[in-house]
Amino acid sequence: MSLTKYESFVREPLVDGAKTYSTVTEDIVYTIETKPTRLWYIGFVLSLALLSFGVYAIYREVTYGVGQWNLGRTVGWGWDITNFVWWIGIGHAGTLISAILLLFRQGWRTGVNRAAEAMTIFAVMAAGQFPIWHMGRVWLAFFVMPYPNTRGPLWPNFNSPLLWDVFAISTYFTLSLLFWYSGLIPDVATIRDRAKTKFRKLFYGIASFGWTGSTKHWQRHESLSLVLAGLCTPLVLSVHTIVSFDFATSVVPGWHTTIFPPYFVAGAVFSGFAMVQTLMLITRKVMNLQEYITLGHIEAMNKIIVLTGSIVGCAYLTELFMAWYGANIYEYDAFFKYRLAGPYGWSYWIMMTCNVVSPQLFWFKKLRRNIEFTFIMSVVVNVGMWFERFVIIVTSIFRDYLPSSWSLYYRPSIWEIGFYLGTFGLFFTCYFLFSKYFPVIAIWEIKHVLKTTGESYKAKMENLEKISAEEFYAETHHH
Amino acid sequence: MSQKKYWQNLGELNNTEGYRKLVKDEFQEDLPFTSAGKTILDAKAPRRDFLKYLGFSTAAATLAASCETPVIKSIPYLNQPENLTPGVAQYYATTFVAEGDVTPVVAKVRDGRPIKLEGNPGSFINSKGEGTSARVQASVLDLYDTGRLRFPVETAGDELKELPSFEAVDKKITGELGGSQVVLLTSTINSPTTLQVIGEFLAKYPGSRHVQYDAVSYSGLLLANEAAYGKRTIPTYHFDKAKVIVSLDADFLGTWLSPEEFSGQYAKGRKINQKNPEMSKHIQFESVLSLTGSNADDRFLHRPSETGAVVLNLLAKLGGNVSAPAINDEKLKKGIDLAAGLLNENKGASLVVCGSNDPNIQLLVNAINELTGANGVTINWANPMQVRKGIDSEMEQLVKDLNAGSVGTLIVYEANPAYNYYNAAEFIKGIQKVKLSVSLSDRADETSALCKYIIPSHHYLESWGDAEGRTGFFSLLQPTIAPLFKTRYFQTSLLKWSGSDLDYETYFKEYWLKQLGDQSTLDKALQDGVVEPASLSFASAPYNGAGLSDAASAVGAAPKGGKAELVLYQSVALGSGAAANNPWLQEMPDPVTRATWDNYAMISYAMAAELGIKLNDKYEVEFQKPVVAFTINGQEVKLPILAIPGMHPNVIGIAVGYGRGKGAGRAADGVGYNAYPLVNGKGNTRSYFVTDVSDYKKTGETYDIAYTQTHNQYEGRVEVVREYTLEDFKKNPDAIPEYRKELAEDFAKKTGDFRNEGTLYPKYDSPGAHWGMSIDLNACTGCGACTIACMAENNVPVVGKSEVKRSHEMHWLRIDRYFASFRDNTEGDNLNVVFMPMLCQHCDNAPCENVCPVSATNHSSEGLNQMAYNRCIGTRYCANNCPYKVRRFNWADYTGADSFPDNQHFSGVGKLDEAVLMMNDDLTRMVLNPDVTVRSRGVIEKCSFCVQRLQDKKLEAKKSQDPSVIRDVKTACQQACSTGAIVFGNVNDQESQVYKIRTQEQNHRAYYALEHLHVLPNINYLAKIRNTSRPVGVKDEFAEKKAVEHLESHG
Repeated sequence: MSLTKYESFVREPLVDGAKTYSTVTEDIVYTIETKPTRLWYIGFVLSLALLSFGVYAIYREVTYGVGQWNLGRTVGWGWDITNFVWWIGIGHAGTLISAILLLFRQGWRTGVNRAAEAMTIFAVMAAGQFPIWHMGRVWLAFFVMPYPNTRGPLWPNFNSPLLWDVFAISTYFTLSLLFWYSGLIPDVATIRDRAKTKFRKLFYGIASFGWTGSTKHWQRHESLSLVLAGLCTPLVLSVHTIVSFDFATSVVPGWHTTIFPPYFVAGAVFSGFAMVQTLMLITRKVMNLQEYITLGHIEAMNKIIVLTGSIVGCAYLTELFMAWYGANIYEYDAFFKYRLAGPYGWSYWIMMTCNVVSPQLFWFKKLRRNIEFTFIMSVVVNVGMWFERFVIIVTSIFRDYLPSSWSLYYRPSIWEIGFYLGTFGLFFTCYFLFSKYFPVIAIWEIKHVLKTTGESYKAKMENLEKISAEEFYAETHHH
Repeated sequence: MSQKKYWQNLGELNNTEGYRKLVKDEFQEDLPFTSAGKTILDAKAPRRDFLKYLGFSTAAATLAASCETPVIKSIPYLNQPENLTPGVAQYYATTFVAEGDVTPVVAKVRDGRPIKLEGNPGSFINSKGEGTSARVQASVLDLYDTGRLRFPVETAGDELKELPSFEAVDKKITGELGGSQVVLLTSTINSPTTLQVIGEFLAKYPGSRHVQYDAVSYSGLLLANEAAYGKRTIPTYHFDKAKVIVSLDADFLGTWLSPEEFSGQYAKGRKINQKNPEMSKHIQFESVLSLTGSNADDRFLHRPSETGAVVLNLLAKLGGNVSAPAINDEKLKKGIDLAAGLLNENKGASLVVCGSNDPNIQLLVNAINELTGANGVTINWANPMQVRKGIDSEMEQLVKDLNAGSVGTLIVYEANPAYNYYNAAEFIKGIQKVKLSVSLSDRADETSALCKYIIPSHHYLESWGDAEGRTGFFSLLQPTIAPLFKTRYFQTSLLKWSGSDLDYETYFKEYWLKQLGDQSTLDKALQDGVVEPASLSFASAPYNGAGLSDAASAVGAAPKGGKAELVLYQSVALGSGAAANNPWLQEMPDPVTRATWDNYAMISYAMAAELGIKLNDKYEVEFQKPVVAFTINGQEVKLPILAIPGMHPNVIGIAVGYGRGKGAGRAADGVGYNAYPLVNGKGNTRSYFVTDVSDYKKTGETYDIAYTQTHNQYEGRVEVVREYTLEDFKKNPDAIPEYRKELAEDFAKKTGDFRNEGTLYPKYDSPGAHWGMSIDLNACTGCGACTIACMAENNVPVVGKSEVKRSHEMHWLRIDRYFASFRDNTEGDNLNVVFMPMLCQHCDNAPCENVCPVSATNHSSEGLNQMAYNRCIGTRYCANNCPYKVRRFNWADYTGADSFPDNQHFSGVGKLDEAVLMMNDDLTRMVLNPDVTVRSRGVIEKCSFCVQRLQDKKLEAKKSQDPSVIRDVKTACQQACSTGAIVFGNVNDQESQVYKIRTQEQNHRAYYALEHLHVLPNINYLAKIRNTSRPVGVKDEFAEKKAVEHLESHG
């Protein structure tokens, strides 16, 4: 498309194709108002199957004990907490996109923020399963809640990072849910208004909370968004900081590190954006939304990936430097003997390759804008980030202070793997339902960034521009 | 108003001051802690509040946690027995007897059930202490063994048919007895009354005889002593009186004769402090790494076929008139020179013991001990041991007679040759030719199953009886519980069959009444448990060296070994294998290999390399061990291997006592390989090594060995293990205090208060008691008795092999064993072995406590790191954060205490073995200590410093208003320790032993493991000191750097 003098040379459009307000709505609600495709059914059934397997894996673990997992006296946390941190990290991109980018007035976020926020919620739901079900006596999990009780009252231990986790994650989940849902309301109202069946009218009617689209509603809605964005912004930093405290406040060499909070946050954003990429690339293809989630979006997110990947890389190197410079043999051994080398050395190098080395390829614009490459990289990054958590957790505790207690080789049992797959099932089941029943792109926000006035003026003027001045004069003054 | 006044005493009438005080304080009794000037009620959480909270939270948690409470019917006594208060323990003196072993014990009986044993401190056999061996500790579980027969049976093929009554049995048996030769086959019997009963029985059937057969023979020693000293017995040994101890293949701290007694004596010579830095010197010559060898100062390796040559060389060096074969191995030669030199220097203060079963070798050892003047000093003939009497040739003859058909009746008691005889096949063939065979053993074991009748005998805890472990040293048995099953004294059986109307109980009482004079003396003797002389006497025996030259030439002519040789040893836990159905013992990690639930071939690193087995990380972290096919005496034996340093490169070690049959019981069934058939019976005596191992090759198969320690070195972590040579310790006794001083300065820069700084959290005082423990690494031999004592006291669950191999073992107290240099350098003689008992360190700044989200683990005002099991939700964070890795998680329902029904049977991932299910049998659960909660699935547990014992003593002190009573409190591990390595007490009490050790007696050896983490542990260790010129410990680069810096800044 040739540029005309009425167009900006600086920015590429946030929405491709000649969209009008009406086509935006039509495009986005299309999947909601039609029967799902076969692909959707296959995916949904697969997710449900995974979810059921996960439920069975949990059933085994709760009935017969945590011994159903291959943990032992030395490696007390394995896949469970690895997966927990991994999922929590994934959630971070959604909050970053919706809250921080909103505050920074980044228009491009509108194409991906709805799905990213949904991903946050589902990822936090998946993450939350692990600290709950990893408990030996999960039926007493309510002991962690600070509620008035007849035991004294006996309060939980406010010194414990695990308790901080409880607060951090529940706060995070609540706020993310509110933020996501409040954003949904105008769109739900749109669907309600278009609904033809009684059930749909009822369902979307209730779900839209009586939204009328009045100016007052919009004004309040905007303020709420800002307030929630303000509240969510510190959470982006605090949640993973607190998760990192689970390790940083301990005495275990390899865990006991002050660098953990920033390092974990950067890692979380890193893995979160990778997950957004994975999901968005599939969604835009399957739901035919290429014009809303454009190459520009993809490139912007790839830039964040290369930035955070490099931060994480710096953190890895800093850790190694400190382990050497600190002259503490326990820490030195933990890093140089049992992490870089030793039985789990392979996992360290997978992590290094996936998280630090390969994202550097995104310095090339061509690769940043290559969809296939981006998709592969997004998976690679999440594999790498999973291994980062595995490396931190398992390779630190499997050989700690007393060599007498060093562990046998830890590998997960089928029920540990099953639990992990189950959370994938949970995540995708939710995501499939969400994509079927709710708009995956924020319609009203897209309409915000849709340049209709300019575009229609341009459309009107396009032909005129091509002709000579005389003709133009004749054309405009022939009456 | 009436002017009448009612009063109870004059005080009330006159309202005196004393009376008012009495009324005021009627119910108030403070815990009598005097030292700090504060009482326990001044503490932040007074006892009453604590109990209130405890009661409340228990009730609430119970209500919350269990929807369905099982109904348990408890029926109170209709007539309460006299002197029995439910919930209050009673103690009875009795005696552990098994296969000739004798240990006087005191049994703790709770509500009619014996639940714990301690050594009887009134006995010289226990060195007047309470220490016992792991086997004695575990024997209380044997009482409740599900493998025991519950009634007399007649065997028919594999089936056991119950016999209606003992009378019916007697009738049947007496009908068949007689006419032909009767042989009574037993293990060593040293009970005077039993021997008398046997005498009477044999007299009734002329031509009959009594054969004593020991599973592991000491014939060589007995015969050599007969030749040299005219007595077919074994003297008592006094390792405490020896400055130089030389042991040739004798595992006297683990399995040889009377290890717990020897350990106690041995430790006396090993405990040193800076004021008196002297200790005995122990040199060990051996082929496989034994527990004793692990403790030796210097250790030299030889092939088992070279034992004779070593003894001859030693004898020759000491001036014996023998010609000694040349020894090619330079190191071994040096070792012999060293030993000979030291023995020469320390005449009259040395002891040479030898584990060989060759009478000729033992004769030579006797000659050595004569030359060094041990006779009458360290070798005491005043009251010889009666613990082993079996003579191999007698058993050999019996098997011949059986096969010749000349034996009409065979009565077996506590002997199991069908399992543990080297030529079991021949014995089995023979027993089938016997007209009448009767077993009086307690179960249908390998031998009993072949007998026509089995009339099970009582367990020793159900019996009256006596034992004479040392000549003239009697100990008595009294029942601690009524017989659980329809069993009968085997002595009663013999009495009945010899036509007597008496039962053994009456017989026993009559015998002892006659011996002691009257009932009150007998009562006193029963109460004491022992009848022993007031003091030990020492005597030498006249020596006769006549057979020496013959013996020397016979030893010199012994065959040389083949490509490799095999040594058969007894494992410290199981010994001969009679107690194989004891899950506690099976699960006790071997002190040297740290493996449980199996035997295997111990091989050297060199042999592993030759076999192409790489001892890399993979070998370390995978429990699948390669199976090697050994050609032993021409026969192929496939066994998994464990490569162990300190093994002779050409020697393989295999433990006997495993591979029991089904009849042994559910736990023993299928555990390990029976190595007894490999015993060499060719000579006059059985020998426990094979010279002909012609080949060994990898099979490509693997076998799972459940071991509890994967890594063998301490990787230079001197903060964990501190060890020095005696020389270094004398030269620089301040190494540890200086290190600790620097630490204190690091931690308390501002205030100088070491305990206050270094943590954000407030500091709590410990008014009253502050419990602490001290563990002497020099005294600890690593025997593992403490581990079993802890299991018995604290209801520590058994998890079975399937779970041990998944690192799910539950031991609250383990003994870490380190080979103290790096892998490449540990081969051969330069091996330093460290045993380090590791249990909860009860840190005052505990990393586990602040990470628990629900405060399930918290600190008591007495310095205890305590677990509220009811509160625990099982996040395992505490276990991850414990630097000592002493916290144990209930991964599955090991105890049956879970509220989920039917969840012990699962497969796929993990499995609860038969042994675990057996431990959950109602019968076996009778061994549980009612003072200690049985933990349910999903909670963490760990050492509590035996808090139930502490509370008990505190109550006692309160009742008697005497704080010194608390000084007597002992933890289970401490009480079971024969060497006194563990000392426990209140460190606030300046009179307590632990306080004195830390501040005065051992302040130059006392260190805290990982003290630099500032977790403030309440257990200190005393550094290991070795009396050797070898390099000891590891290069401490940090300390060296520090020293250089120190020099630079001050120089």
